[in-house]
Amino acid sequence: MCEPLDQHLNPDEIELWALGLLPAARALHLAECAACLTAAERERKLFRELAQLERFAPSAGFVDRVIARVQIPARTV
Amino acid sequence: MLRTYDRFVAPPRDTATSNAGDGVIGAKDRPSNLTGASDQDVVASAVRGHETAFRELVRRYERPVFSLLYRMVRDRALAEDLAQETFIKVLNGLASYRPEFKFSSWIFKVANNVAIDQLRKRGVDTVSMDGAPDATTPDARAASALQLSGHGEDPLQEVEARELGTAIERAIGRLRPEYRRCIVLRHVEGHSYDEIAQMLDLPLGTVKTYIHRARNELRGYLEDRRA
Repeated sequence: MCEPLDQHLNPDEIELWALGLLPAARALHLAECAACLTAAERERKLFRELAQLERFAPSAGFVDRVIARVQIPARTV
Repeated sequence: MLRTYDRFVAPPRDTATSNAGDGVIGAKDRPSNLTGASDQDVVASAVRGHETAFRELVRRYERPVFSLLYRMVRDRALAEDLAQETFIKVLNGLASYRPEFKFSSWIFKVANNVAIDQLRKRGVDTVSMDGAPDATTPDARAASALQLSGHGEDPLQEVEARELGTAIERAIGRLRPEYRRCIVLRHVEGHSYDEIAQMLDLPLGTVKTYIHRARNELRGYLEDRRA
């Protein structure tokens, strides 16, 4: 079913647009609606900031400390 | 025989293959026969008793799991203890892993349960660097805030302050724990809403609501700061 061009984007559609996944037919609404465009751009900005967050690393030797406490079964192959 | 843990959880239902650890591990650190192997294949190798496979699973997930826990408890040493506990539970329970389920969903589910247990033990709903969101006076807010800088910090605290001190990290720290874990899993780890619902044992609609509210709060915190 086609959405009318003048129907505002819902939150799911704004997320899809921010991720570059909104179908072009719905994205056309943004050219006509300043409110939706502002909301969508704010969402995209936040997504970019979140995506740039660091993946922290545990301290050196973490793997060895875990393996020392794991019960590794006897090899079968 | 492997031990069974009381907090052990069944892997969530999912069929996809994870590449969560790809890009985290240097190729030189990987056993050559496991390079590029799916999580399911690595697990199968571990169950057959190959220590290198156990190590590979830890290498693939140490950063994502530790990062989630660090953002939840906001204490590096505690997050590392909880990450160890997560891996030990998962790796000692590998014999019951079902390969049709996504390994990453399972390990994040265990990590989430470990974090919840810890937060319950501490008896706090949230840990905020800016003070409790429900504090009604500036003094109450200051009293409940984690100190990010100032005299008397040891080097480890200074590292934590730097790592978690950016505006976006501070904003995340002000979220309720359930919002925080959802937003990290969605926007930092890149999991789908369905996967997050499985990991956290929440209805899909609840996950969507939490994430939408979390984003609104984050935007509000960041805009307040910019203003």
